[in-house]
Amino acid sequence: MPVFRLCMKIIRKNLSSMMIYIAVFLILATLLSLNGTKTQETGFSQVKTNIAFFSEENSPLIDGFRSELSKTANFVEVPDETEKLQDALYFRSVTYIIRIPKGFTQSFMSGKNVQIEKTVVPNSTSNAYVDLTVNQYFNTAALYVKTVPGITQENLVQHLKTDLENSTSVAMAADTKANANQDFSVYYFNYLSYALSSVLVLGISAIMLVFNDKNLSRRNFCSPLSAGKINAQFILANLVFTFVCWAVMVGFCFLFDYRNMMIGNTAYLILNSFVFTLSMSSISFLIGNLMKERSAISAVCNVVTLGPCFISGVFVPQELLSPTVLKIASFTPTYWYVKTNNQIASLSSFSLSALSPIYCNMIIEAGFAVAFFAVSMVVGKKKRMSN
Amino acid sequence: MIIKVNNLVKRYGDLVALDHLSLEVKEGEVFGLLGPNGSGKTTAINCILSLLKYDKGEIEIFGRPMAPDAYDIKRDIGIIMQNVAVFDELTVYENIDYFCGLYVPDKGERKKLVESAIDFVGLNDFRKFYPKKLSGGLLRRLNIACGIAHRPKLIILDEPTVAVDPQSRNKILEGIERLNREGATVVYTSHYMEEVEQICTRIMILDKGRMIADGTKEELKAMITLGEKITVETFSFSKENLADLKKLPNIVSAEYRDHLLVVKSGKGQNNLETVLDFLKKNGVTFGKIYSELPTLNDVFLEITGKQLRD
Amino acid sequence: MFLHIFKARLKCLIRDRQMMFWTLLFPLILATFFNMALGNLNNTEAFHPIDIAVADNAQYRENQQFRSVLKEVSEGDDRIFNLTETDPQNAEKLLADGKIKAYVTVNSKVGMTVRESGLSQNIVRAFLNSYSQTSSAVTSIVRENPASLRNGLIKEVSDRKEYTKEVSGSSAEPNNVLNYFYSLIAMSCLYGGFWGLKEVADVQADLSTRAARVNVAPVHKLKVFLYNMCAAILLHFSEMLVLLAYLYFGLKIDFGLKTALVLLTTFAGSILGVSLGAFVSALVKKGEGVKVAVLLAVTMTGSFLAGMMVQEIKYAVAQNAPILSYLNPVNLLTDAFYSLYYYDVMTRYGWNMAMIGAYALLFCTGTYFIIRRQKYASL
Repeated sequence: MPVFRLCMKIIRKNLSSMMIYIAVFLILATLLSLNGTKTQETGFSQVKTNIAFFSEENSPLIDGFRSELSKTANFVEVPDETEKLQDALYFRSVTYIIRIPKGFTQSFMSGKNVQIEKTVVPNSTSNAYVDLTVNQYFNTAALYVKTVPGITQENLVQHLKTDLENSTSVAMAADTKANANQDFSVYYFNYLSYALSSVLVLGISAIMLVFNDKNLSRRNFCSPLSAGKINAQFILANLVFTFVCWAVMVGFCFLFDYRNMMIGNTAYLILNSFVFTLSMSSISFLIGNLMKERSAISAVCNVVTLGPCFISGVFVPQELLSPTVLKIASFTPTYWYVKTNNQIASLSSFSLSALSPIYCNMIIEAGFAVAFFAVSMVVGKKKRMSN
Repeated sequence: MIIKVNNLVKRYGDLVALDHLSLEVKEGEVFGLLGPNGSGKTTAINCILSLLKYDKGEIEIFGRPMAPDAYDIKRDIGIIMQNVAVFDELTVYENIDYFCGLYVPDKGERKKLVESAIDFVGLNDFRKFYPKKLSGGLLRRLNIACGIAHRPKLIILDEPTVAVDPQSRNKILEGIERLNREGATVVYTSHYMEEVEQICTRIMILDKGRMIADGTKEELKAMITLGEKITVETFSFSKENLADLKKLPNIVSAEYRDHLLVVKSGKGQNNLETVLDFLKKNGVTFGKIYSELPTLNDVFLEITGKQLRD
Repeated sequence: MFLHIFKARLKCLIRDRQMMFWTLLFPLILATFFNMALGNLNNTEAFHPIDIAVADNAQYRENQQFRSVLKEVSEGDDRIFNLTETDPQNAEKLLADGKIKAYVTVNSKVGMTVRESGLSQNIVRAFLNSYSQTSSAVTSIVRENPASLRNGLIKEVSDRKEYTKEVSGSSAEPNNVLNYFYSLIAMSCLYGGFWGLKEVADVQADLSTRAARVNVAPVHKLKVFLYNMCAAILLHFSEMLVLLAYLYFGLKIDFGLKTALVLLTTFAGSILGVSLGAFVSALVKKGEGVKVAVLLAVTMTGSFLAGMMVQEIKYAVAQNAPILSYLNPVNLLTDAFYSLYYYDVMTRYGWNMAMIGAYALLFCTGTYFIIRRQKYASL
């Protein structure tokens, strides 16, 4: 199998540049797994937003406010300096800065109209959330102040504490959540698409470049090996390379996330990644056929792999992308791959009706594989004719 | 004196690349620096050009000491490197113009010089080509044009014909002779003896960083004992014949192998006649017969005991 | 002489297609990707009325008070909810289909049903809580001061006031998508290092034969180098201006109001990048591949720490290792753009620029001392 062996040698020569992608991927996966998987929550949980709290005075009313606020907010320590506060707000270390001015309590208790100062990320959702809590506290307090003459602060706070303990019961609709935490594996498999497609494009186009070399391909076809045999070995080499890449990448997942490996969702994630690998390998095949210069490989590789990952929800989750971008992204297999991963993660039953959209997406991915392969065959043939 | 090198020593660690080399190049000469690969030719050139640091010795060009900032000396030197040294991003014309411009600031004058250099190397049809599109021979010619466009008084060519087709090579050699005729002094390094024999008026042979011979080619050939080499194609030549042949006067050596009889004789007249007489007398029938005068290779062989080209 | 070398050099650089890709086209492409991926980020953070439903039953209809409160907050431009009144089965279906975040049920008490715990669901809950909490307050007030019922308690209940007043922290909005683009410009500036790499290789005789030929010409080597660097910096600055123009006019990225300083920062960044490349090339005595690898490693690590991949990293570094953020050239540039956009005072911008200047000076003098020798130990 001389052609096959040659292909393997070419791959080995280009191994170092591929290793960079794999190394970066593994580092990220390690960081992700160190981050720890959150404990599974079954009931409704209170979401807390991060705020900075400054008070220029102390009073029982403010203390009560602070403890009430702590139910819906985490207090983050930020130095009271303009730039530090601006930074904290910009990077969303806090989304809401509260400042209670001096004399607030006195004015409030005497029924005057007073306000506390807030600096916020404009129009944000968490802003609305904190506003609700703040206004509820002081509106309720004002109710007491206006209707119960001479009420003391201590008495008021006591009342508020009981009143604000009232909360609405929340029911969780059944049959909705997956039975295990899939955060890690979904992220792992989504990001895998970037590393995997980079490695495939690099490797396969390196092989193609050698074989599409005019002189070399002519010499090849002058050899006593039949053209069919050469092509067969060549395609076999590409397939072996593709398969090994996929196996290695998926294999690492077993190391990081062995606890979740045995559940059905993971099996579907692996299946999905395999179908995706096939489509990426046929895209690489096309790129290799179109490529003319060795120096262009890394440029093309970067654009072709980064692009779909950006717009298909690998780096930024799909739910944060605009519909237009997603529409464009749906012309790439990456989009369908990521979408399917997300769907698989939320699977709680493996009934046919639940699985059918997932199979459907995988068929689309496979369709990409076939289409790109067909195009690359045409391109390759045209190229050979023109030589 | 155009170049004067005195006791030049250059070491790379333990390796002595140039071992007390001295040489002089006179005005109007075509000076050949001949030696096998690794003999120190390029090192010597780079030292002379003040590109390389050296451990010992003095170098003068045009009678003045050479230094990296001796710009008035550099202005009159043209250098053609062993490796093609041009910008891939510039066209043939732009390359020549760029390098020429480092010597000749005046635009009008430069334009004429560049045109004549293009003419000189015969690249008229390729002036807008990028170096990548040129064949090996054309690329070498461009390399030369870049070195000589500013009409230097001293031209140094470091193996300009490596890997060049015969046509381009002849063109290059003719060009060098023409430049010399027009008044330039030429220093030419090569490991092709034929080229050196063809164009050089004086030759220095280097080996392992040392000068081993110096003179005109006639002087060099006179240095060795070999006068003539006679080769005879014959199918019937016995050992006895060979022994008898060796006894003849003025025969240095004789060998018979693969139907070829090679007779080397000392200096003197009538060597061929002696051999022919011997063959006739002994009834040896032969096909071709030819006689050669010694080459520089024979000179090199005799002095160092090894072939120049390996 | 200057013009001759400068012009030829500019041609040389512009025609280097591979370099032009990495220093010009790649940043533009990356900016486009960034914009596509992040364009919607501010929009998702922004508050949109939450889609909810209420299960329409007898008790809900009877509870006029609750009903009117719920309707009140579901009307107008500043509404909190998009409310659908529907029968319980349909509400359940809407929830299952993801059309609504929660539905409200009114039985003996007010309750709600959700599929997951998120911010929106918590807002719904906070609102429902406030209803029951206010009811509880009214009950206890009446118990304590029955007279209050006559003294307009009910009116007071409906008279809800706004207890917060927004104080702007800065003249600019904390639009945190911007940092990604600022760090992209910073990275592109440092990609100018590729030009610097080329400049040193083309003037050092031990790195290329072209340089050897330049070295034997009657022009001072450092003069040639200086002229070449001028060409490289001019070209790279122009490329950065193209990028800037694309970001500003094409992608509508906000740079604040100090346009002249933004341009100055970009210029300083171009010099920083090109000189960094020259320094790396002069310092690292290995093959070209190693030099490129070193340059890329510095740039990419710098970009990562400056928050180009995950912007919170920039903040985390500034919080936990402030020295690192002042040593990282990519961060210095990113932060300079950020300061121009976001701060009203110029102190931090000044510090950033001072550090950028110091770095450029260090790289330039370092390069000078390494390449000033004119003879080589070996070629």
